[in-house]
Amino acid sequence: MSVEASKVLSCIQCGECTGICPESGRTPFNVRRLIRKKLLHFSVEDGLPWYCTSCGACTIKCPRRVKPSEAIIELRSAFVEDGRVPATVQKALENTMMQRNPWGRSRSKRAAWAEKSDMQIPHVAETKEKRLLFSCCILAYDPRCMVIPVNVARIFRKAGLEFGILGGEEACCGNEIRRMGETGLFEDLVEENKTGFDEYGVREIITLSPHCMNTLKKEYDLNVKVRHYTEVVAELIGEGRLTFGGSYEKKVIYHDPCFLGRQNGILDEPRSILHAVQGLQLMEFRQSRKDSLCCEGGGGRMFVEVECTTQRNSETRVIEASERQADVIATACPFCVMTLEDPATDKGQVVREVSEILAEVL
Amino acid sequence: MSYTLVVAEVRRGVFEERNMDSFGISTLLGKDIYLVVPDGSSGPGEMFASRVITVRTGEEIFSNPLNIKGIVEQIMSENGKPSCIVFTHSSSGMECAAYLAGAFGFPLITDISGFDKEKNIFLKSYYSDKIFGEFEFRADKTLVLTVRSGSFRKSAVVKGAAAAVDVIENIAISGDRTFIEYVEEEQAGIDITKADFLLSIGRGAGSKDEVPEYEELADLLNAVLSGSRPVIDKAWLPKSRQVGISGKTVKPKVYLAMGISGAFHHMAGMKDSECIIAVNKDSNAPIFESAHYGFVGDIHKVRDKLKAIVKEATVHKG
Amino acid sequence: MHILVFTKRVPATQEEELRIQGDGKLDLSRLPFKMNDYDNYAVEAALRIVEKSGGSVTAITLGDKESDEVLGRAIAMGANDGLLLEQPEVLHDPYARAFLISSFIKKENIAFDAVFTGVQSEDDQFGAVGGILAALLNLPYSSMVIGIDEVDEAGAVVRRELEGGIHERIRVKAPCVLSIQSGINEPRYVSIMGIRKASSVERKVFKADSYGGGGSPLIRVVRWVYPPKQGGATMLRGELESVCKDLLGILKEKGVWQ
Repeated sequence: MSVEASKVLSCIQCGECTGICPESGRTPFNVRRLIRKKLLHFSVEDGLPWYCTSCGACTIKCPRRVKPSEAIIELRSAFVEDGRVPATVQKALENTMMQRNPWGRSRSKRAAWAEKSDMQIPHVAETKEKRLLFSCCILAYDPRCMVIPVNVARIFRKAGLEFGILGGEEACCGNEIRRMGETGLFEDLVEENKTGFDEYGVREIITLSPHCMNTLKKEYDLNVKVRHYTEVVAELIGEGRLTFGGSYEKKVIYHDPCFLGRQNGILDEPRSILHAVQGLQLMEFRQSRKDSLCCEGGGGRMFVEVECTTQRNSETRVIEASERQADVIATACPFCVMTLEDPATDKGQVVREVSEILAEVL
Repeated sequence: MSYTLVVAEVRRGVFEERNMDSFGISTLLGKDIYLVVPDGSSGPGEMFASRVITVRTGEEIFSNPLNIKGIVEQIMSENGKPSCIVFTHSSSGMECAAYLAGAFGFPLITDISGFDKEKNIFLKSYYSDKIFGEFEFRADKTLVLTVRSGSFRKSAVVKGAAAAVDVIENIAISGDRTFIEYVEEEQAGIDITKADFLLSIGRGAGSKDEVPEYEELADLLNAVLSGSRPVIDKAWLPKSRQVGISGKTVKPKVYLAMGISGAFHHMAGMKDSECIIAVNKDSNAPIFESAHYGFVGDIHKVRDKLKAIVKEATVHKG
Repeated sequence: MHILVFTKRVPATQEEELRIQGDGKLDLSRLPFKMNDYDNYAVEAALRIVEKSGGSVTAITLGDKESDEVLGRAIAMGANDGLLLEQPEVLHDPYARAFLISSFIKKENIAFDAVFTGVQSEDDQFGAVGGILAALLNLPYSSMVIGIDEVDEAGAVVRRELEGGIHERIRVKAPCVLSIQSGINEPRYVSIMGIRKASSVERKVFKADSYGGGGSPLIRVVRWVYPPKQGGATMLRGELESVCKDLLGILKEKGVWQ
């Protein structure tokens, strides 16, 4: 497992981190101040570290390579060892210990999406090319999102791309688990998944979630290529192996997920995919690409109840989409889908994951 | 001639309805039914038992497991060994049955919900009703049972003849455990047992954050919000809203259960509702067995959609 | 105060399908295992008492070798040590289990001010071992303990949970046996690293055979059966919108909504 520690000693308290943090000003969370507290070993209030969404903006902006997002994780780790975790985080972690997913759903049902679909999706061991489609806990269990892996499977089939899954042997990638500070559990998950990859001779991994891609690529120390499915689909379109039939006459505004765009530079691929859809009018948010407004679903925020008296970022996004008269908000991350959909439903807006748009023109 | 001893459950002067299940299984067992009660209420006991034994002591002393041994010993010295001693499967029933079984070395099966007279076998649930075990027992010893509420009451038969009456004047009272007082839960206004329509949330509601959303739905539907045990344990709702064996028993016209799996102790608190509608994302949830209507789906989505439809309907009306 | 807390390793069965195999046995091999939920509360209750007024907590489990896991968890939570009473086969009879435990306690002269158990175990749900054990040891007992108001070496004032939202406040002399009800507290979080550290704390292992192995059971499982089906619900199907409209229709029919 390769993760570089933070360097709080290098901090000059310039405040660039707080300046770019999506939680600044709207919540009590102040990154710069927390770095100082960590440096001086001051005590930190119980609820404070849990605001961080792991968007990574602070680490990118920091002129001194302090890695503030890592420092927050380290703070949370100390809290975790002390048992100072919010009850919902405790539940998510305990669930993951038991069933390898934060909802505590049965491990045996992790591939229910594949079993219920009309496609025969093989175990990666039974494939020739040992190309693994790594699903993600949200996509495996959340009823709204279960259509996404089915869509991507269909797209790959159409393009003739061979792939397999691990089914119940797949464990949570641990991206959020590590960011919630449960280092021990993260290590266990890494070991378990890696053992599975090795045992079945996996040669390439395609993830459906940018979060899974992020940790498998940067924190697992794997020798295999790890890509997000949008990179693969963009490539297939570019090579002429995938074409679309129908048209999608809608104004689609694209929201860059933090773990896809800002942290891993995958900005053009989803756009090129959407451009390839006939009739689709692609729009950009004011804050887009690496400056995308974090939806606030990552970093364990999905499991934490934080107090927020001001408008949530997801609401801000939906309001802008409506003002600009977009028909659809498109994104390529299940966390963004879930976080944006709540305010979107309230305001009559529609959120679609990229594969859902493609499924309609396939 | 052996007999079945039914130990009555009496709380705050009330001869609990659960005792009817004790009469039911005792009727099926076929032997004479002797009922032992504390001073005060024997309820309809005289109708179902052939002998009613009153112990001249208050219910708190009667239901103290440390005293039950002495009571049963006195009954046995007068009447011989019973073939079976039946308790309700309740807070005091379980306690006394276990202590009694330990004190005498009697076989004990708790929470029985079925009996096969031919094979002399009792049915007991495992893994929250997912599997049942058929149990046989050492027939040379008195069998102790606790009986699941609702499982046998239909088998209770009213006796023709009047019941014989016995009194136990003095019993040994243990000083090692003593009753102090009853403590009521803070009521906080709402009495869910009086509501016609309950919207009940379970563990599936996910977090305390979601509760106001369900409150809003309950308001829109003119329902009262209640919850299952996990929701109260996590303090998402106050105790006064708890439905279940350790909360309130409710019989509303409609019980809309969202994110509730239907574990037995919850079902016991609402199974007599006129119409049970269950929404749960687990198609295997036991609640679908007892519900009248069911939908397998995400409860948050159902909640939001219901709200949207109701709000729209209200706009059009107004 | 010295508190002995019983813990049990049970399978997590919530969404799982339990199969009865051809040979009549239950197939539990694919299930994840964990500490019995009620025992979590019991361990937490014991720890809080000892953290406040001094003493120690010993976790004890009756089960197979793998049951050591729950001892590890209890120690990670803060218990001082763990005892494994190793019994490879499952004893279904709660009397046999309690008898074995009482023989062990008497023979090994295990000292304590209180024994805590969970109200019941999630697998067999007998809820009886605590009460039977108390009677065998001739100790005062309370089950369904939902609150501990006072506790010291002389005894405890506790609240028992009754039906209908009522509690019973009672006084129990020590040494005593208490069965702890879920919801009495919020069990603390135990991290994986915490559990790893706990593995270095030695657990004493005792073989159940040396204490009679539970003797001959008084009850026996003849066979396992699936629950009797009872008809079941009319399932609503279709798109979310139409299902919700159907639902509102039912409410109108029942007269609870206009």
